Amino acid sequence: MGQIMQLFVSGLSTGVVYGLIAMGMVLIFRAVGVMNFAQGEFLMFGGYLCYTFNQLLGWNIMISLILASVGMGVVGVLFMRAAYWPLRKAQARAIIVSAMGASMVFKEGSRLIWGSIPVKVDRVLEAPVKLAGGGIIQGQYLAIMIVAAILMLFVYLLLEKTFVGHVMQATAQDQYMASMVGVPVIFSIAMTFALSAMITGIGGGLLAPLFFLNNTMGSTAGAKAFAAIVIGGFGSVQGAVLGGLIVGLVEVFGGAYISTTYQLVLIYIVLIIVLMVRPQGIFSSKIQEKA
Amino acid sequence: MKNKKKSSIIVLLTALAVFALAPLGMGNYMLRVLNVALITYLCVLSVYVLLGMCGQNSFAQAGLWGVGAYMAANLVLRAGFPPVIALLAATAGTALFAFVLGFAFFRLRQYYFTFASVGLMTILNGLFMNWEPVTGGALGMQNIPKFSVFGIMLESEKANFYFILIICVLTFVVMRILFYSSIGRSFMAIRDNEIAANCMGVNSLLTKSIAFGISGALCGIAGALYAFLSGYLSYQTFTYQQSTMYLIMIMLGGTISPVGAIIGTMIISLLQEFVRPLANYMQLIYGAGIMILMVVQPEGILGGGKALYETLHKRKRTGPDAA
Amino acid sequence: MKHYINEKEPVLTLHNVVKRFGGVTAADHVSFELYGGEVFGLIGPNGSGKTTLINLITGIYSADEGNIMLGGKKVTKLSTHTRSKLGIIRSFQHPRLLGRCDIETNILVGVDLAVRRRLPQARDYQERMNILLETAGLSGVNLKDSTERLSYGQQKMLEIVRAMLSYPKVLLLDEPAAGLNRSEMNYIRALISMATNEGIAVLLIEHAMDLVMEVCNRITVLNFGKQITTGLPSEVQENTAVIEAYLGGGGQLAANQ
Repeated sequence: MGQIMQLFVSGLSTGVVYGLIAMGMVLIFRAVGVMNFAQGEFLMFGGYLCYTFNQLLGWNIMISLILASVGMGVVGVLFMRAAYWPLRKAQARAIIVSAMGASMVFKEGSRLIWGSIPVKVDRVLEAPVKLAGGGIIQGQYLAIMIVAAILMLFVYLLLEKTFVGHVMQATAQDQYMASMVGVPVIFSIAMTFALSAMITGIGGGLLAPLFFLNNTMGSTAGAKAFAAIVIGGFGSVQGAVLGGLIVGLVEVFGGAYISTTYQLVLIYIVLIIVLMVRPQGIFSSKIQEKA
Repeated sequence: MKNKKKSSIIVLLTALAVFALAPLGMGNYMLRVLNVALITYLCVLSVYVLLGMCGQNSFAQAGLWGVGAYMAANLVLRAGFPPVIALLAATAGTALFAFVLGFAFFRLRQYYFTFASVGLMTILNGLFMNWEPVTGGALGMQNIPKFSVFGIMLESEKANFYFILIICVLTFVVMRILFYSSIGRSFMAIRDNEIAANCMGVNSLLTKSIAFGISGALCGIAGALYAFLSGYLSYQTFTYQQSTMYLIMIMLGGTISPVGAIIGTMIISLLQEFVRPLANYMQLIYGAGIMILMVVQPEGILGGGKALYETLHKRKRTGPDAA
Repeated sequence: MKHYINEKEPVLTLHNVVKRFGGVTAADHVSFELYGGEVFGLIGPNGSGKTTLINLITGIYSADEGNIMLGGKKVTKLSTHTRSKLGIIRSFQHPRLLGRCDIETNILVGVDLAVRRRLPQARDYQERMNILLETAGLSGVNLKDSTERLSYGQQKMLEIVRAMLSYPKVLLLDEPAAGLNRSEMNYIRALISMATNEGIAVLLIEHAMDLVMEVCNRITVLNFGKQITTGLPSEVQENTAVIEAYLGGGGQLAANQ
């Protein structure tokens, strides 16, 4: 039982980070109608920023996480300005290719700045934590789940309860109308990208103590987040989070009981099954296209 | 119809002449570079079919290339098949593989397929690296013999060059035939207006899968050729990064025609050789370069050329001596 | 060239078709029959659900309730491309052409469908194409040009040419005259006439009332997804409920004519 509990906890905590990445992707998708191809690089870059503050400058991990997220906010805005905004009227294809270019820039830039040797970051909670039932889980897993829960609550409150959030949602639904009522569209979209980059970047800092940081982790992370979105249900934030949890659990249990080398294969088999059986995902309703 | 066919033929003959004469001045090293470039061209052509004709963006092409390569190598080394059979089987096998996968992946809307293809690429690379009994795992496969047909082995770089060139010419011709066929039109209908295509009898799932299958066939040929040419295979060749290079090549040349594939492939393949000192920064440059290209001229060199031609033409017509 | 359609049996039947989007009922128990060789008008104020019906008939939307039948065959659950292979063809409110292909390729898409439908006359398309292009006023056009060279009206006409090349059984026209000037409308009239002569059942969504009254054999009127009335053009014109739907109550429009 103890082992299953351990696996469950570690699956949930990696899953919740995938949920954060997926949430970031969904936020951008709802705002501009295109899936962000470079979302995985946000995770990687956020992790490296955290590494810079925490390991290279020696600061406290919590402070490093906060600074890294602020940094990622800036990065998100720059990314939007360079990769998305000039192409906002172009076809989705062009935007994807541009994001691909941006992800190359991120990857190579990270390699040139921080080198290609994988690095680590401090844990938020060092010691193992005792659970009510008598089990023990790694402190970091608990920390991840707490931080992720706080972030998701923050995003929910921001979008649903604040004026800024309402503006962001309005722009996401209809850019033209929003501009007609005086919303500075570029501002609102920039905020959405910043928020997306921030929550994803913090995920990088949280995962870093568990898995090493390296400059190629972005594409796998992106692929998993994408699987999460499709499995959970397209376009919905809840779907993204729940899909992330499913992916995390499949990965961990699959890795333990089947094989670690084929974890991604397993995730994609689940993806394909979901696609065959219920293409709109678990938590979504069928999408109709207008003619 | 006549004009287009005429200009296609002119392009083909010119390129042929240039290419046929090329080996005269080159050493073995440059010939190898050229051979690999031609093989790369076949993979870029697969992107042309899938993206340029059908509008579907895939990052799994280098993975399909690997499938073809490992298949051919296995058929020759482990199953003892003659290289010709291995080449044909690898082509068909990769095509079938892609076609069947298409039925799962194309249930996703257009650009979601792109993301799934990243997953597929990662999985394939993982398989190449780990599936020891078939791919040799991290050590890869060695001692793959050179291609031979009717008892004649293609030992020299030059011989291989002419062989690969012939295949490239044949595939170029097949592309032209595809363009003027009804399945080719179905691809383009999906690319330009999928809803209208559906309303005119085009089955999206089946048609896109066929496109993926054809792209798989092209990568399959390329893979087999590569296995015979280089003699050894490593998972480090068949990477996501390689797939992005194919995309950059076709975007640079222009997605609108297989000629774009030739232009893009040649420029970048030869560029790699001449910018050795900058090798460490090339990926960064490509990344930034493609971002700029998308904003300035998403149709690539061919598109830019076409636009230039049309502006000049317009100036002629509205000039002082216009009718 | 006549189609072998039995004019006593309806070609297309809608029976109690319902479509809801969240809280809005876009199609509320709509029923009608279309016969070969007739023009059936579908009119109503903007937002009344006309395009929704075409989307339902072609399969772009799937009906929540009700049935759609082509001849005697239920097509309600079939995919869009399957329905088009059975002969349900449409035009769009804003022309959906292949922007990166030349005009000839656009036309050939229609021929491809006829070939796919295994129609024996499909491969000899040249003559039919020329007749259609002339009827549509497009005979002077260079087939190698991009579709962007065509005017808006010409693009709409090209869509109908493409549709006609596939020998439809049912032709659904979504506001073909919108954006066209008076002389271009003559081409629409000619194309519709050609279709009915071939025994095709034509469904016409239109706002240009003179065109509707002139070419339609019968008309049904929609408002908020519900059918208000169905009948001859003269009957519909005098119907007070219809006038109210368009003018919002108390109109004396028809009476003053």
